[in-house]
Parts: sequence; structure tokens; C-alpha cells
Amino acid sequence: MSEPLLSVKNLEVEFDTYGGTVKAVRGVSFDVIRGETLAIVGESGCGKSVTVQTLMGLIPMPPGRITDGSATLNGKNILRLPPKEANRFRGVEIGMIFQDPMSSLNPTTTIGDQIAETLIVHRGKSHREAFNMAIELLEKTHIPEAAKRARQYPFEFSGGMLQRAMIAQSLACSPAILIADEPTTALDVTIQAQILELMLELQRTEDMSIILITHDLAVVARMADRVAVMYAGQIVESGSVDDIFYRSAHPYTLGLKAAMPSNTHERDKSLTPILGSPPDLFQPPPGCGYCTRCPHAMKVCADQLPDNMAVGEQHHARCWLQHESAPMIEALHQAG
Amino acid sequence: MLVRTKALKKHFNIGRGQTLHAVDGISLAIEENEILGLVGESGSGKSTFGKTLIGLHPRTSGEAFYRDQPLPANFTAGDHLRYSKEMQMIFQDPYSSLNPRMTVLDIIGEGLFIQGQHKSGEIRDRVAHWLQRVGLHPDHMSRYPHEFSGGQRQRIGIARAMIIEPQFVVCDEPISALDVSVQAQVINLLDELKQSMGLTLLFIAHDLSMVRYVSDRMAVMYLGSVAEIGPSNDVFFEPRHPYTRFLIESNPEPDPDLERQRAHQPIIGEITSPVNVQPGCRFADRCPEVMDQCRHETPQLIATSEGRQVACHLFD
Amino acid sequence: MSLFQPSSDMFERLEAQDSVDIIARPSLSYWQDAWVRLKKNTRAIISLNIIILLAIFTLIGPLAWRVDPTLQDLNQVSQSPSMPKSALVVDSYRGWDGIRIDNYEPPQEYPKSVAAPTNLRTQGMPTTQVVRIAWDRVPGADGYNVYRNNRAPLGFADLGLPLGATYGDELGYEDRLSLEAREYYYSIVPTDGLDEYEVFTQLIVTPQLAITREEAMERHLIGSLDQVSVGDEVTIEFHPLGTDYLGRDMLARLMEGARVSLFIGILAPLLYVLVGIIYGGFAGYLGGQFDVLLMRFADFVVALPFLLFMILFKIAFGIGPGESGIMPMLIALVLLMWPATARLVRGQVLQIREEGFIEAARLLGAKNHYLILRHIIPNTMGVILVTLTFAVPAAIFTEAFLSFIGMGVAPPTPSWGSMCNEGVKTMLSHPHELFFPALFISITVLAFNLLGDGLTEALDSKMRSRD
Repeated sequence: MSEPLLSVKNLEVEFDTYGGTVKAVRGVSFDVIRGETLAIVGESGCGKSVTVQTLMGLIPMPPGRITDGSATLNGKNILRLPPKEANRFRGVEIGMIFQDPMSSLNPTTTIGDQIAETLIVHRGKSHREAFNMAIELLEKTHIPEAAKRARQYPFEFSGGMLQRAMIAQSLACSPAILIADEPTTALDVTIQAQILELMLELQRTEDMSIILITHDLAVVARMADRVAVMYAGQIVESGSVDDIFYRSAHPYTLGLKAAMPSNTHERDKSLTPILGSPPDLFQPPPGCGYCTRCPHAMKVCADQLPDNMAVGEQHHARCWLQHESAPMIEALHQAG
Repeated sequence: MLVRTKALKKHFNIGRGQTLHAVDGISLAIEENEILGLVGESGSGKSTFGKTLIGLHPRTSGEAFYRDQPLPANFTAGDHLRYSKEMQMIFQDPYSSLNPRMTVLDIIGEGLFIQGQHKSGEIRDRVAHWLQRVGLHPDHMSRYPHEFSGGQRQRIGIARAMIIEPQFVVCDEPISALDVSVQAQVINLLDELKQSMGLTLLFIAHDLSMVRYVSDRMAVMYLGSVAEIGPSNDVFFEPRHPYTRFLIESNPEPDPDLERQRAHQPIIGEITSPVNVQPGCRFADRCPEVMDQCRHETPQLIATSEGRQVACHLFD
Repeated sequence: MSLFQPSSDMFERLEAQDSVDIIARPSLSYWQDAWVRLKKNTRAIISLNIIILLAIFTLIGPLAWRVDPTLQDLNQVSQSPSMPKSALVVDSYRGWDGIRIDNYEPPQEYPKSVAAPTNLRTQGMPTTQVVRIAWDRVPGADGYNVYRNNRAPLGFADLGLPLGATYGDELGYEDRLSLEAREYYYSIVPTDGLDEYEVFTQLIVTPQLAITREEAMERHLIGSLDQVSVGDEVTIEFHPLGTDYLGRDMLARLMEGARVSLFIGILAPLLYVLVGIIYGGFAGYLGGQFDVLLMRFADFVVALPFLLFMILFKIAFGIGPGESGIMPMLIALVLLMWPATARLVRGQVLQIREEGFIEAARLLGAKNHYLILRHIIPNTMGVILVTLTFAVPAAIFTEAFLSFIGMGVAPPTPSWGSMCNEGVKTMLSHPHELFFPALFISITVLAFNLLGDGLTEALDSKMRSRD
């Protein structure tokens, strides 16, 4: 395995709210390798968006607070950069696209000008030069009649076209990493397929790494090389996409798979929901966060946080069932 | 046949002389104790169809029947009251569908109260029973909606609809706002209620896999009209209409091996807006097998095999 | 890696857990939750306390501070704020012969210059009843001019008020000119009977507050004449915030003025917000053509000039200049200010009408009045409360402005605005007459606005936790 491009170590983020302090991210570590897609998958409130927003410096502080951890890119800890330097990183080294492109584009400026602005600010291009480059970028994202579209305003674009424009903007400075935060959640399946295809194509041509944040395991299966499953502010399982889907080592991953209908089977297998709700991160439990919902919960799970235990090469799970003294659970070892 | 519509249309006047053809002539029938899934992209008019059928929108033209009795085109409060024990609805947004100023007891008990049951003790007993039935603790009945999670709120919404024991329930994207693990809770609950109460459901959603899993029959909508209808597995595994084919090809599988094997050729173009539509097939602009005929002649639903109908000139 | 090594018995299965969700957090209703959030907003809570104090000041104040706001204390006109004062009881005024030189011979010829007067002194006790000063003869001078200044003179040209002149044989002067209990700088300048020599002597005198027994009786400070004797002290009327230019107690007038200001400031918004709720509620709920028609009329009302209407109402009510314009003001406010609330409520109702819970209730057979009372009104209460909180300072300000320009209350009824108007006239000499009413207006307006901000924040549904 080559040297990681971005290395996040033990990231911890808290928020002060009216109700108290929410520990949104509780010690998250992952690496991003050049040219690969890392999917961070989890349900709402698991901390996956907060993690990447912290990397991009998009967390308002206060109420947010990074209590621990580092994120190393090109040998620099991007969490501790002075604001000016951090601004250079944002949009240049790392590009980002969001679930709702409408709210992240300025409604009073044309699409072309918004993309051009990035180039003027970060690359020092002239306006004319930058605008022409913006049209090229829009063509690259397969927006038909790019020259005409560049002179239009965001409200004249459909959801799918806006997401393409967002991608074009994020590509403006040829970032090494593209963070996609639920890029297709608001889109219909046919448009989702188009956008996912576009991202894969651009990843090849631009030699980018992608961090894909999603809740949809089907999108993960389509896109990811490696997967990190997040639950209650922690990565509970990480590994290659095949490890996660065919050799799941954490009951939560198994539970997620069992809760989804599979298209390959006739309608014989019933869905198995995960009972209960995720823990309240105002007061995270002392043990495993999944303990109260886990069908295989043991005494140790309630009291002690499991370590991130190696299951295979590059495959880790934060679960006591992987401990040598734990009983064998058939479901976990037959999966796949 | 429990519910039937004939050329049901719902047009909205959107000003400046423009008309939005949200539902443009839908004829379909829902059998007793079946789940009919209705899929389509946003803007296809699937939610509008459900709301028009149940009387939340007055219909523009066409007919609708419940147990072969014609339903009024414009529901009054009295009509709603008369049909409330027959038809109910479960809403998409578990946040806006519960009044934030009311307790769970008042929300779930609302139907009983409106229908003239004013003895608080009896309402309380029934609400407690239904809270348990949907997997919530009866002690929580004095709490307010914002204290519950999305999945819990959706179950409160289900209890509100079910407490008056309707026959037919329109589920308008009941799971699209929920997390995967919670979706299964709601789906299983609906399935259990269907079995135990003999319910008939119109299940509206955009998630193809879930609709196939949940429903007995599936109808695919595109721009206000039905493109294809038939038994769920048949439609899903052997789609006929070009749009259905694209929809299913676009639907990703939670299985990396399958995804690697699949040919990915996403459908081009996007759904257009159903404003001032011209005659002709609505899908003609995106269809790779488009013919001259498609541009000016609107295809009708044609039975192609047992229980299956397709609206496409390829099958004329 | 942690050093924790679990023992084998810890790997026993936990018993199957109850599948029913338990919520541990305490239950809070919408209003309870808003209150909890408001309590964390220091500014809003301080403002709320100020408003409560203001209410106490207005309602209970006059019961505790029983001073007639229209009573004129002519002995203490334009008094600055002070501590309680007592006055020395003196005999009633008796004439003074002054100090004369017998067999005075005017100088034969007038010298070019003379020396300054010496031995300048007071005669008897200086009181606010009378100050008597005396000095020694200046050789060569044939008369003296007496000056009085409120501050230390800067030089010969700055000796202050010329009180009078004496002849050469008079070596004393009696000052009875509106004396107050404060420092005075008396200066004596010798003259040749006509022109002044450019020398002077200065004396600082602080007269003591004095009152005669008869006066004290008259001002109800004592019950009977023999209750005190000369040389005793009596406590005189206390004006903690001073008096105005007619000697009326500022504190009592501020309390009385608060009644007028808050009457308009609270009643008018209550009425026009109510009109707005009903009007906007109807427009929003009925919708369609009705809505368009009603809102066009509201636009028309917005375009009407308030001041013009105020004047028209005064004429229509037959209220001339100098008569109280409170009722026309109230009517003009209610008739012209409701459209803003109506628009807001209409918008809210339009939004709520589309919410899922309204559709759900309709499907259950709910009638219009049920939907309005049970669903729509409770969900607009938050916005209405905020509107009301912001409408109060606006109305207080309008009242103050109108009273300031003389369109509001008529004398002697005070309101904060009319008190400002009166205070402006003496702004430079007695700033407290303007300062206090202006301060009360500012604090009230600020407190209501900050409370409104706090309420907006506390009631904002976007900031509430969803999970």
C-alpha cells in the first residue's frame, strides 16, 4: 500500500448546544490513498458529515470544537493551520460537493462567474481566461451547451445539472481529493446514476481521490474501493469494499445489510430491522455504542469500549466479538 | 376491487395561463388486501395522485370509485368524515405531519375525538394500545413530537391513521425520510398491520428496491401518467417499457460484485416539467427507441400478458 | 490499544433487550422548551426584569410615592436630583438698614485708581431668605457695584450678575434675588459714583436653605406654628429626581407619564395585532381570490399617512389644540398599523395550511373551526408573541414622538414624550428635565426589543433539536 495522501488520526469534535455538549465525532482515524475512493457510510447523526466538514474547516467554532486529533495532508496538519493558509487548502487541495447544491451556490451570480471566481482567487487568472476555463470545466462534466449554460443563474438549472456545476467548480483547481457529502441523496435514481458515473470518470481522468459520504450501501457498492462504517461518532468497521459486503465483521454492518431489500432474491427473505435507536451523544455510553441494539451483545460490551481489532489485512472492526475469548457467532463468520 | 380510478386528472393553474399537468389521466384499480406500489421520479405526480384519490386535492376530471361507489370530486369536511373510517394516509415528512404543539396522546387520539369520542379515559386506553402496537411505550403519550426520532414519529403517524381502523391507506413515501435501519422497522410494521387488519395499501415511493420488496403489484409513473403496471417481480425483473428499463438499470445494488459486472450506461436527459404538455409519449425525448408515432400520439396502457399493462407504442 | 483485558465471564450473552424504545430525557412542551432557552439568554432575561420593574414602577409606584404630579413647588423650581434636604426655620423677613457712614463726605477729587475693598464679610447668617454682605470703606471711592456669579469669576469682565450699586456712604448690600442653597461668588467693585475702578474683592457665600414658620405651615411641612421655633430644622419636600420648570416633582410625573406611554404602548399593539390576526388569518385560510382582495386592501391601508390621519381624527373628534389627543392616537394606531401583522399571520397560516398535520386532520374529518382553533392558531402563537413584543416599543416610540411634537397628551397630563418636549427648553441649564424621560423611553424601547430578539431565538423552530 502506498503512502496515504491524507491521514486523519483520532479526530474528536464536540458541539455545545442548549441541551449540553454533543460528542459528535469520537476518535475517528482513516487514510485516503491517491486515486482511490473511500466511502464513509452511516446513518444520520453518526458524525460522518461532521468529520469531513471539520477537514474542510466548515464547522462553526463555537459552538463546534476540535478536542483532539490531526489530519495530515502533504505533511501539514490541516486542522491547525492559520486561517489564511487554511483557505488556500480549501478548494485547492481538497474540493467539496454537497447534498444540496442550491444552498452552496450564490443565487445572484452566474454559474460561469462562480467557477471563474475560484480560478481568479486561487490561480490568479484574468476574468476572461477564467471564464473560458469555467466553460471547459462545465463541458468536462457533460453539461450540454456549456457556453450558454455558463451565463445562466443557479435557479435556471435542474438539481442534476446543479450538482454537475458544483462538481465543475470543485474541480477548478484540480484538487487531489474530492469530498462528496451525500452528493446524490436529493436526486432521482436516473440522475444519481449519471452523477455517480461522472464522478468515476473524472476520478480516472483527473487522478483524484474521492471521499464519499453516504447512507446508501448500494451507492457504496457502486463507487467505493474502501469503506469505513460509522456509528455513534466512531468508525466501527473499515476495510475493502469486499471485506465490508462479503466478510462483515461488525454486527452493525450486518444489521444494515439485513435491513435492506436485496434485488437478487425473490421475495422470500424478510427484512430484519435494527431495533431501537442510536445512543444519545450528549452522554455517550461507556461501552460499545451499538450494545443496546446488538443481537449478540455481551456483558463486556456494555462496560468497555472495544479496540479497533484487526480482522484481516486492512480490515478492522471495533467489536468485542473479534476478541479471541469471544464466542463464535455464525452469522459473522458465514457472511459472504 | 376496492379502489378504482378512471382517467383521473389533476391539473394545477400555475399562473400566466400555464397549467401543470401533475396527474394526466390515470386509470388503475387496487384489489382488496393488496399492496400496490407506485414508483416514479420526483415530478412524476405520484404523490399528487395519492392525495387526489383520497380527496386532499379536488380532482380536475375523471372518476374515482371506492367499493364501486363514486367518490366526490371535491371532498367537503363531511365527505372526509364519512370516508375517514375507510381511507387514511401516512405522510412522507415525519416532522411536518405531527403538530408540534400537541402531545402524542392528542395526536393519535385526534381521530377518535373528531369522530365524537369525547371520553378521555377511553381515548387514553386506545392510544396506549396503539402506541404499544407500533412499538412505542405508552408512558410516552404525554410527550411532544420533537422528543421522538424520525422513525418513532413515523410510527406515531401510523398509529394516528390506524386507530380508526381504515380499510385503505395511502402511504406517501413513508420511509424516504428515514434511515435504512429504521426503514425496515416501518416496512415490517406496515406489513404486519396489513396482514392482521386486512389492509389495502397504495405504497408511493421512489426507492425501486423497497417498492418491489413491499408491493404485490407495481405501477411506474412518468410525468403524470402510468408507463407500466404489473406484478412487482415481473415488472422489476422483466421490465418492458423503456423508461422502466432505464429506471431499473439506474438502480444501484448493494452488492459490489454485481455492480462491477453491470454495464453502466446511464439514461440521458432529465425529467421535463409537466407544464402545457403536448400530445405524444411523455418519454419520447429521452427514449432511445423513439419512433415517429411517439412524437404525436399518446400511447395507451395495453395489456401485454397476464396482469401486465404497458403504455408504449413498441407493444401496439 | 488499551491495556484492558476482559475476563472470560464477561463474554456471556446479555439477555434479550426490550424492543420498545425508552426516552430518557425529560418531557418539555413547546412553551417550556422556549422558556428554558430564553432563560439562557442573559440579555433577554435582564430586559424581562427591566420590563417587570417598569410595570411595578407604573402600577405600584404612585401608591408608594404619594406626590401629586401636578403640584407646583415654587420654592424648588428646576431642582436637580438631590438627597432629602432640611431647611432652617427663620423669622419672617425683617428689613435691614444696612451699614452707613455717618457724616459722609464724598471725596474732593476722584483719584486715578483706588485700592480694592477690604474686609468683605457676611452680616448675620446667609440663608436662602437673605444674604447680607458688608465691606470697609475704600478711600477715594464714592460708590460700589455688587456682582454675583454662580461660579468663580475668570476676571474683571466676568463678575456675573450685577445686583445693584451703592452710594459712597453705604458699605453693605442685601441680596434677596431668588437664592438657592448653593455657592455664590459675590464681588464688590468700587466706583467714583458713576464709573468703575478696575479692582474688585470677591467673597464666596453658601446660603443655607431657610424657611419661615408661616411658609412651613402653608406647605404642610408642620402642623402648627408652635411645633417649631426659630433655629430648628424642618425637612422640606423631597424631589429625588428633581423638579421641572414649573416645580413639579419629576419622579411623580415620570410615573404618571409611564401610565400614558404604556397605556398606548401596550393597548394599541394588543388591539391592532388582534385585528391583524383575525384579518390575516381569514385571508390566509380562505385563500384564492378572497386572499388577493383582502391583501390588496391591506396594501392600501399601508399607504395611508399616519400623521395626516391623526390630525383628521383630532378634528373629527372635535379636539382642539392643547387638548388631549390620546383617543385619536389610539384609534389611528389601531386603524393603520394592523397590516404588518396581518401579512405575517397570513404568511404563517398559508404555510401551516400546507403542513401534513392539517391534511391528516382533514382526512380524519376535521371541520374548519377545529382546524383553526386546534392546529393553526396554536402554531402561530410564537410568531404573534414576537410581533407583539416588537410592536410595543414601536407604539411607545410613536406616542413619545407625537407627544413631543404636541400632538399627544395635553398639559398638565404628562407623558414621557411631552416631558421631553418640556425638557428640551431647559436642556442647557437643567439637563435632568430632558434626561430622565428620554432615559425611560430609551430603556423601555431597548428592553422590549432585546426581549423580542430573545423570544425570536427561543421560539425559532429551526434551532430546536429535531432528534
